Amino acid sequence: MKVSRVFLLVFTVFLFSCDTGSDESAGDNFDRGAMLANWADNIIIPAYANYEKELDALVSSVETFTADASESNLVSLRDKWQSAYLAWQWVSMFEIGRAEALSMQSYSNLYPTNPTEIEASITSGDYNLELPSRRDQQGFPAIDYLINGLGSTDADIVAFYTNIQTGSSYKTYLSDIVNRLHSMTTEVVEDWNNGYRDTFVNNDGSSATGAVNKVANDYIYYFEKHLRASKIGIPAGVFSSNSPDPTDVEAFYNSDFSKALYEEALAASEAFFNGQHYGSATKGESFATYLEYLNSIKEGEDLVKLINDQFVTIETTGANLLDDFSEQVETNNTLMLNTYDELQKNVIYFKLDMLQALNIKVDYVDADGD
Amino acid sequence: MKFSKIYIGLLFGATLMSCSDDETTPSIETPDTYTFTRDGASTVSYSGQSTRIAMNHEFGGALKVETNSEEALLSMYNHQEGEADFSDADLNASDKNLKSKTAASADFYSDNATDAAAIKTQIDTWIGNQHDEVFPRWNDAASAGNAGQIADGTSTRYVSAEGVEYNQVIAKSLIGALLADQILNNYTSTAVLDAGSNIEDNDADVLAEGKTYTNMEHKWDEAYGYVYGGTAEKPSDLLKYIGSVDGNENYTGIADAIEDAFILGRAAIVAKDYTVRDTQAEIIRENISKVIAVRAVHYLQGGKALLESQEYGGAFHDLSEGLGFVYSLQFTRKPNTDSPYFTKTEVEKFYEDILANENGLWSASSTTLDEISNKIVDAFDLVLAEAAL
Repeated sequence: MKVSRVFLLVFTVFLFSCDTGSDESAGDNFDRGAMLANWADNIIIPAYANYEKELDALVSSVETFTADASESNLVSLRDKWQSAYLAWQWVSMFEIGRAEALSMQSYSNLYPTNPTEIEASITSGDYNLELPSRRDQQGFPAIDYLINGLGSTDADIVAFYTNIQTGSSYKTYLSDIVNRLHSMTTEVVEDWNNGYRDTFVNNDGSSATGAVNKVANDYIYYFEKHLRASKIGIPAGVFSSNSPDPTDVEAFYNSDFSKALYEEALAASEAFFNGQHYGSATKGESFATYLEYLNSIKEGEDLVKLINDQFVTIETTGANLLDDFSEQVETNNTLMLNTYDELQKNVIYFKLDMLQALNIKVDYVDADGD
Repeated sequence: MKFSKIYIGLLFGATLMSCSDDETTPSIETPDTYTFTRDGASTVSYSGQSTRIAMNHEFGGALKVETNSEEALLSMYNHQEGEADFSDADLNASDKNLKSKTAASADFYSDNATDAAAIKTQIDTWIGNQHDEVFPRWNDAASAGNAGQIADGTSTRYVSAEGVEYNQVIAKSLIGALLADQILNNYTSTAVLDAGSNIEDNDADVLAEGKTYTNMEHKWDEAYGYVYGGTAEKPSDLLKYIGSVDGNENYTGIADAIEDAFILGRAAIVAKDYTVRDTQAEIIRENISKVIAVRAVHYLQGGKALLESQEYGGAFHDLSEGLGFVYSLQFTRKPNTDSPYFTKTEVEKFYEDILANENGLWSASSTTLDEISNKIVDAFDLVLAEAAL
C-alpha cells in the first residue's frame, strides 16, 4: 500500500514533467539507437541464445529420464533444470515484443506453484497450459515440484515415474511443461532473429511506445516486482500482516538453490544497467552511459555512482544470507528484511531519479490486490 | 489542485473541530474506543451484522467456484434458517440473510417497495449471469464477445462476453445496497432510532427485554456493526474501502472521522443528547458516501488507463469494481437531506453507458468514463486527480 502511494505521487510528478518537456527529450542528442543496438546485439539476443541452449539440454535430459526413470537420470535432469533456471534469470526482465505477447514471465516462473492443481491435471490428463489460470502449474516452479517435491529421497521421487498405473501420466505432464517452456523460447528467439531486432533498434523515439521507454519500464518493473518483491519481500512477509512464509521462496522444493537464483538475477540487473555484454566484461551504451551523458546529479552526487554503490551495498548485505531462503526466513528474517530495504533504495533511484532524468513516465500501476 | 487540498483540509478541520466542540459538552463521556457498559456489563451488540458479513464473505467466494449451481448461489444470498447453504454451521442455523437487507432501509425503501424489489432482482440477475455466462466458459480464454478467463498480472479474472466480472459487480454493489443503505438510511435514521417509545425508554434507561441495552443504543450499534463487525481476517467490505480511501493522502483522516462519529454518537445516546447524536449521523453519512464516490472514480479512471494501454484483464477488473461502486451511489446520502447523491435511474444510466459500445468493456469509451467520473466528482465536490489515485 505504501509503495503504491509513493509511486502514484511519482506518477503525478511525471505527468507534469511531461506536459512541459515531452518534446525536449528527443532533443537531448543521446544516440538512443546505439544503446538499443547494444542491448539487442550484445545483451538480449545472446542471453536468449544461451537460455535456449540450456533449455535444449533440459528437454533432452527429460527425454532421457522419461525413457529410463533412474535415480542417476533424475540427478542429471535436476542439474539441467538448475542451469536453465539460472540462464532464465538473464532474460526474465526482457518482457518485450513476442515475450510480452506471450506473457512469458508469468508462464515461466510464477511461484509458489500449485501442487494440488498439478496433481489433478496429471490424474485427469485434461489441461490447457495456455490458460492464465494454469500459470502456477507450469514453468520452472512446477518442474521443481515434479523433480524435487514429490518425495523426500530420489528413490521416492523416481517411484512416481516408475509406477505402473500412474507413471506415464507424470512423465507426460513433465514433458509437456518442459516443452512449453522450450516452445515459448523458440518463438521469442526466432522473432528477434527474424526482423524484431531491427524493429526494436529503429524504435528509438521518446514516446511511451518507444523501445527505450518500454525497456526502462520493463527493467524497473522486473527489479521491483520480480527481484525485490517475489524473491525477497514476499517470503520475508513484507507484503502481508502475517509472519514470513518459507513456502513462498523461489525453487521451494530445492530451497537451498533459492539464493543462487536471486544472486544471478541481481547480477543480471546490475550488468544490464551498465550495458555489460552478455558473458563478457565489455560494456556498451546503457542507462549508465545515458545518465552520465545527461550529467545527472542527485544531491551533488553522480546518479550512476549512487546506483552502482547501492548495488554493492545490496550484495554486501545479502552476502550473509543462507543458501536456503526457506531456512533464512525461519531463522533470521531480519537479514532478509535488511536485504529488501537495500533493494528498495535502488527502486527509488530507478523509478524516481533515473526516470525523471530520462524524462520517461512509469507505465504500470500497482494493483490493490483484491 | 492547491485550492482543493486546502478546501479538503478545511473540511476535515471543520469535522474535527465540531467533534472537539461536542467533546466539551460536559454531560457526554466519550471513550477512546467503542466500549460502553451498564452496571459493569457491555451494552454493545451487533451479532446480526457480524453474521451477515461472514455470510457475504462466503457468498463472495462461492461466486468464483464454477461448479456451484445457480440455486446454491441464490440460496446463499437468500439463506433460510436451517438450510445447509454455508460451510459454517452457525451461519446455517442463523435466521439472518443478505437479500432481505438489500435495499431495505426505512428512509429509502419503506415506501418504495418497487425499487427495493427491482434492486434485489438485479442482484439475482447478476448471480444468474455469473452462472449462465461465465461458469460454462471457466476453462476457456476470453476474447471480445466471448466469456472466459483473462490474465490480470499474476491473477486470473473470469469475465462475461462483455468483459464484466460479475462477482466484482455484485460485491461492490452490496457495499452500497446492503452495508451503506443499512447504516446511512436505516440505523442512523431518526425513523429507526426514535421509533416507538425509544426516546422515552432511553431517557428512562428502560432496557430491551432481557438485554443490557436500550433499543436506541442497539440500533446505533447495528449501524456500527456493519462497518466494524467483521473479523481481522474477514472485515466488512466497507471497512476495507474506508481503509483504502484513508490510504489516499488526499483523504487521510476519513477513517478516524467515521469512527469518532460512531463513538461520539453512541456516547450521546448514553447521555440522552439527541442533537449531538444526529450531528454524528450526518458526519457518518457524508464520509461513507464519500468513500463510495472516491472508489467509483478511482476504479473508472484506473480502468480507463489500463484499457488505453490494452491491459484488458486489469482494465476489466477495475471497471467491474467501478460498475459496482457506481451502482452503490444510489444508496449514498447527502447530509441533511433524505436524498442520495445519485438516483437509481441515474446510476443505471451510467452503468448502461459504460457498457454501451460493442462487446461492452472491451471497447468502453474513455470519454464516457471521464464524463461519468466528472459527474461524480462534481456532485461530491471532489477533485478528479485526487480521487483517481
